[in-house]
Amino acid sequence: MRFRQIFRLIGILSIFIDLSMLAPLGISLIYSDGSTFPILYAFMVTSGIGFILFLVTRTTDYSSISQREGMAIVTLSWLSAGLFGSLPFLFSGSIGTFTNAFFESLSGFTTTGASILNNIESLPKGILLWRSLTQWMGGMGIIVLSIAILPFLGVGGMQLYKAEIPSPVVDKLQPRISETAKTLWKVYLLITLVEIGLLFIGGMSLFDSMCHAFCTMPTGGFSPRNASIAHYNSAYFEAVITVFMLLAGVNFALHYKFLKGNFKVFGRDPECRIFLFILAALILLVTCNIYGTVYHSIGGAFRRAAFQVTSIITTTGFVTSDYAQWPPLSQIILFLCMFIGAMAGSTGGAVKVIRIILLVKYGFRETFRLAHPHAVRSIKLGRKPVPEEVLSSIWGFFILYVGLFIVAVIFMSALGLDVLTSFASVAATIGNVGPGFGLVGPVRNYLTIPDLGKWVLTFCMLIGRLEIYTVIVMLAPAYWRK
Amino acid sequence: MKIIIVGAGEVGFNIAQRLSEENHDVVVIDKDQSKINHIQTVIDVQAIVGSGTSPSVLTEAGIRETDIIVAATDSDEANLIACLYAQYLTDYITKIARVRNPDYMEHTEIFKQDFLNIDLIINPQSEMVNSMLKLIEVPEASVVIDFVDGRIKLIGITIKEDSPLVGRKLSSFQDFEHALLIGVIVRGEEVIIPSGQDTIQPKDLVYCVTRRDEISTLFGLLNVREEGLHRIVIVGGGTTGLALAMSLDKTNINTKIIEKDSERCLELAEKLEKVVVLNGDGTDRDFLTEENIADVDVMVVITGDEGNNVLISLLGKALGAKKTVTRIEKLSYIPLVSAIGIDTVVSPRLSAIRAILQFIRKGKVVCVAPLKAEVAEVIEFEALETSDIVNTPLAEVKFPKEAIVGAIVRGEEIIIPRGHNMIKPHDHLIIFALKGAIPKLEKLFTVKLEYF
Repeated sequence: MRFRQIFRLIGILSIFIDLSMLAPLGISLIYSDGSTFPILYAFMVTSGIGFILFLVTRTTDYSSISQREGMAIVTLSWLSAGLFGSLPFLFSGSIGTFTNAFFESLSGFTTTGASILNNIESLPKGILLWRSLTQWMGGMGIIVLSIAILPFLGVGGMQLYKAEIPSPVVDKLQPRISETAKTLWKVYLLITLVEIGLLFIGGMSLFDSMCHAFCTMPTGGFSPRNASIAHYNSAYFEAVITVFMLLAGVNFALHYKFLKGNFKVFGRDPECRIFLFILAALILLVTCNIYGTVYHSIGGAFRRAAFQVTSIITTTGFVTSDYAQWPPLSQIILFLCMFIGAMAGSTGGAVKVIRIILLVKYGFRETFRLAHPHAVRSIKLGRKPVPEEVLSSIWGFFILYVGLFIVAVIFMSALGLDVLTSFASVAATIGNVGPGFGLVGPVRNYLTIPDLGKWVLTFCMLIGRLEIYTVIVMLAPAYWRK
Repeated sequence: MKIIIVGAGEVGFNIAQRLSEENHDVVVIDKDQSKINHIQTVIDVQAIVGSGTSPSVLTEAGIRETDIIVAATDSDEANLIACLYAQYLTDYITKIARVRNPDYMEHTEIFKQDFLNIDLIINPQSEMVNSMLKLIEVPEASVVIDFVDGRIKLIGITIKEDSPLVGRKLSSFQDFEHALLIGVIVRGEEVIIPSGQDTIQPKDLVYCVTRRDEISTLFGLLNVREEGLHRIVIVGGGTTGLALAMSLDKTNINTKIIEKDSERCLELAEKLEKVVVLNGDGTDRDFLTEENIADVDVMVVITGDEGNNVLISLLGKALGAKKTVTRIEKLSYIPLVSAIGIDTVVSPRLSAIRAILQFIRKGKVVCVAPLKAEVAEVIEFEALETSDIVNTPLAEVKFPKEAIVGAIVRGEEIIIPRGHNMIKPHDHLIIFALKGAIPKLEKLFTVKLEYF
C-alpha cells in the first residue's frame, strides 16, 4: 500500500467534485436564492483540502496501482465525496446535523435517493441542483469520470475502474480504459440531454427537467418536488420518465453499440431479453392486482404499475402513487424488485439480473447432476460458456449480499424499529433504491430513523453501490497483511 | 494507431505492453482465458478470448479500423492464416507474422506481394543468428547494434576495475568526445542517462555510440584488449547452431560445433566444409578440456535446454573460455543470468520483439533497439523539415531530461554532437532515451503542421 499515491488521487478527485459545485453556484447566483455563499464556502473548503492533499503528496507514478490500492482509492474517494458533498447542505443550513447531511449526500452519490428532507421545495435552487448533481455524477461513477478525464492513469485506471464497476462481465468498449470511460460518459450525457429536452417540451420548467433527468439516468430518484413525480400528475411526464428509467437500467455498452448502428443488440443480449421479460411480467401482474382494488380503470392501473415497477426494479425510486396502500401481492413484488435490480453495466443497483440468471442456472445444473451424476455441463449465457470462477465469485457476492442484509436488519430491529421498516430500510439502501415500506415508505422519509441507524444505512448504500467486495475487502485482515 | 496482436505469449505480451505504453490502441486476441485475464489486469489493452484465425473474432476485434496486425502465436500456420484473413477483411492493413519453421524460409518469395502479401516475416531464429554474428564480430562487447547500415555501432561494454575511465567525470572526456558518446550507464538495477557531472564506476555497463572505424580507438580508451577472433565453439547443433556454423564456415575463423546426437552430427558434417563437427556432451568437463576450451575466444551455447545452456556457459567460463554467448528463451531469466557471471545472452523471443517493434515504428523512427531489460532505448529518428528541433543549436532544444542525442548522421558525415551543433532537415539522429521519454520525443519529432 502506497499511501502517497492513494491520497494524491483522492486529492485530485476532490478537486473534481469541487469543480462540479460551480454549476449550483451559478444557479444560486441566477435565482439569488441565498445559497450562493454557503456553496462558495463549500467550494473553497473542498478545493483547499483537495489542493493540500495534492501538494503534500508529490508523485507521478500511477501506472502501477495495484488491485488493493485501487480498492482503497475507490472506497476512500466515495467516502470523501460523501463528506464534501454534505458541506453545501450544512453551510446553507438546509440540513441541520452532520449525520443527516452526510446521509443525504452519500444517498445522492450512491444514487440511492433516500432522503431525510421533509420539505424539499423550501430549499434554495442551488442546493436542489447540487442534490441532483451528486446523483448524476455518482451514477456513471466519479472514478469513471476521472479516468475519462485524467489521461495519466494508464493501467492504474483499469484497477480503479474494476473496483468501481465490479460487474461480472467485463465489457471494454475501446482498447484503452480512458477511451472506454469517455465513451460511457458520452452516451450517458447524450441520453440525459435527450431526457431534459423531452421533459422541457412537455411543459416542465427547465430547472425541474434538469433535476429530474439528472436523477433518472443514474437511477437515483431524488426529486425537487415533495410529492416526487406525482406532483405533476401528467401521463406524459410519467411515460417519458418510465422509458428513461428503463434505459438507465440497461447495460450502457448496449446503448453504445446501438448508437453505433447495431440495432438488434438489445434483442440479442441474453441478459437484456430476460430483464425485459421479468419487467413485462411483473408490470402485468401488478396491473391485474391493482385493477379494481385500487384503480378503477385498466389504463390508470397500468400507468401506475408500469411506472412503479420500473422505478423500483431499476432502483431509481421515483414515486407516483403510495404503493404501501396496494394489495399484498403488489407490495411483495415491489419488495422483491428491490433485490433483483437492473442489468450489469447499467447505473442501477442491487443484485443485478445477470447474477440472478446465473444463480438460477446454477441451481438447475445441480438438480440435473443429481439425475446424471456423471454429467459434465457448462453454464452458458447466450451461447458463451461462463467460466467457473465467475460463477463462484457470483455465489460469494450473493452470500455476502444476503449476509450483510441480515446483519443490518438485525441491527435496525435492535434499534427498536418495526419488522417491516427494518427489512425495507435495509433493502432499499443496500439496493440503492430509496423509498421502502413502513416508516420509510413512498410518502415518508428517513428522518425518523435513529442516528445510529442512519449510519448503518449509509454504510449499506456504499457497499451496495460499490458491489460489496471493494468495500468489504478493506475490512478483511488479509487485506492489510504484507 | 490501432494494432491487433494475435497470441498473448511472451512475444505478444511484450509487444502489447510496449505499444500500449506508447499510447497506441492495442487489441490482444488469445484462445487462453487465463492469459487474457492476466494481460487485462497488467496492461491497458482490450483483450478478447478467441481464435485469431477466426474472421468473426477478428471482426469483433475491430479489424476494419486496424492499421497493423501482428500474428505472434506459437503456430506458424495460425499466424499466416490470421494474416490472410486480415488481408481479406481489410485491404490496406499492415501484416506482420512470426514464422519459425526453417522449411518455410527456403522460399520467402511466397510471402511477398503476389502470394500471401505479408509485409514483414519475422523469423526469430535468423534474427538471433544475425545478432550472434554481430556479437562475434566485436567479441569484447556484450551488445552490438548497428545503425545507419552498420556505419554507426552501438556497443555495450562492462567497465573493468583497471579501466582508465573509472572515477572520471564524463565532462572530462572533451579530448575524444568527437569519437564517442556514452549514452546510457547501467549500474546494478539502475539505468542512467548521464550528464557531464556523472562519473564512471567499475562494473558499470556503458552503452556508447561510435563510428565503425573508431571501434579500436574506443577499446584503447576503455583499456579493453583487442585480441581478434580466432577460435569459436558452438555447443548445440540444432537449426540455429547449423545456421550460425554455416555463416562462420565462409570465414577464416577456426570453428568447432559440438552436438550430442551422433546422427545429427552426420547431417551437420554433410552440410559443413571447414567447421569441425564434434560428437559429445557439452556438459562433460573432460570432453571440453580435451577440446581445449581454454583457448577459445567465443563459446556459443545454443542447445535446446535452457538450464543446460546456463550450466555449460558457466563450465566453459570456468575452464577458460574468454566469452560466452548463451541462448535463453524466457525473458524473465535474462536479468538473473548476468548476475551469475554469464556475459552475453541471446534470445529468439527478444530478437523477435525487437524486429517487430522496429518495423512498427518505421516512418519517422528509422530503427529502434531496446537496451537492458527494456528500460532504455536507442532510436534512430529522421529530423523532418517541419519539426521544431531543426536549425536550432542542440543546447537550446527543449529535450526531455531522460534523453540524449548520441550521433547526428548527415549524408556521409557522422557527427558526435555537442551543445553547439545544429540539426538540419533530413539528418538522422541516434538518440538514447529512457522509456518514459519516448512519447515526448515522438511529439518533438513529429510534424508541427501537415502541409498539403
